Amino acid sequence: MKKVVIIIIALIFIPLGCKTESKFENKKEYLRWVGDIEQNNEIDNSNFKVCNGDEKIFQYFNLGEGPRYNKEKTTILETFKVKYKPIKSKIQNGLIRIRFVVNCEGKAGRFRTLQSDYDYKEIEFDKRIVSQLIEITKEIDNWEILFRDEMPVDYYFYLIFKISDGRITEILP
Amino acid sequence: MKNFYILVIIFSFTEVFGQPNCEAFKYYGDTLKYKACKKAEQIRGHYQFSKEYQKILDESISIDPTFDYAYWAKSIAYLKSGDFVTWKILIDNAVKLNPKSHLGYRGWCRYQFFRDYKGAIQDIEELDSLVDYDIGHSQNGTYHLNIAKGLCYKAIDEKEKAIKIIENQIKRNNEEDFIGAYDYLHLGVLYLETGNFEKALEALVKQSEINDLAENQYYSALAYKALKNQVEYKACLEKAKELYVNGSKMFDPYSDPMDKIYLENIENELIKVYSN
Repeated sequence: MKKVVIIIIALIFIPLGCKTESKFENKKEYLRWVGDIEQNNEIDNSNFKVCNGDEKIFQYFNLGEGPRYNKEKTTILETFKVKYKPIKSKIQNGLIRIRFVVNCEGKAGRFRTLQSDYDYKEIEFDKRIVSQLIEITKEIDNWEILFRDEMPVDYYFYLIFKISDGRITEILP
Repeated sequence: MKNFYILVIIFSFTEVFGQPNCEAFKYYGDTLKYKACKKAEQIRGHYQFSKEYQKILDESISIDPTFDYAYWAKSIAYLKSGDFVTWKILIDNAVKLNPKSHLGYRGWCRYQFFRDYKGAIQDIEELDSLVDYDIGHSQNGTYHLNIAKGLCYKAIDEKEKAIKIIENQIKRNNEEDFIGAYDYLHLGVLYLETGNFEKALEALVKQSEINDLAENQYYSALAYKALKNQVEYKACLEKAKELYVNGSKMFDPYSDPMDKIYLENIENELIKVYSN
């Protein structure tokens, strides 16, 4: 009986002890590329289309031009400064990333969010903060059209918002 | 399709860290790490973001979960796609297993990608406390890590400390005949922001001799403005605009560098000149 109890305890605790280490060993299901975003008609605008197929979506830095914004980054900064209404709270601190696809016409779609505190631990911010950031990002009509061999391409881009006490302190990249 | 992948690989900015020498593990009798290392060698030719690359490294980790290189190599795609949560888990593993090799890199990335100033300072200072050799440069080679640390101190409003760190590092760089691409520019801006306009101009002139950029002309203009030298103020702004339009400006493939300016900044200042 004693042996049975020991075995049961061992079976319960061994998997727990390995949980962190095995996180990536078990993650076998990858898409084409890390961070690929598939169209989901339940949440994404079904009118949004990529021009050259999902298998040819670049990362913005693949094009060698650095982060590019329609007009300049100052326009983006001003847009959020004017439109974002801070939800002041001492516990709203960390990073929010909104990642999306920009197509060959400079239109954006497939918006996804990632949220963490300043220790990079995943958290959920106040929904009023996140929804505002998404809405403002979606309202930006034109993103920079990037070219490869004179052909306009589709690419992934993101905005990272540094949030302190519910206010935006920086927008990256 | 093949061309697409070739282009992606060419423009993915190869990392400075090379593949570790697997034979060294064998020589020291660490057969498990040798096997993990040999497996990891198979990532050659695969794009960092691809599932093939990631799967090979998963296998490498499953052979030897203490092989730091595999965690580091896996982390890169997450970093570049802005997935700070996954990146941090992976790079923390690498740092835990081999702090001397990865602390400087993690610190730099915290600054470059996420403007995590305090985290970057912590990593760079910890590395400094662990080693008795030079802590080296940022991953992209733009800065000595001490300059990056200085910029982080500036960002958390410890500007005098930042000036001291950057001045000292520039002195050391000079002894080794090395000049950072933006070192004098950042120093000049720090002097400008602390009201030391003459010293700001001195540093910005040095920057223009090494690598003339729209930024150093713009900040020179602001220093001349503070010194009430209207002629130079205007001349520097016009030069800044010319350089900017011709593409001589600060650049980083992943994020906008600190102290970078935009055409709008120059033009707004020019409006002030012409409205006087």
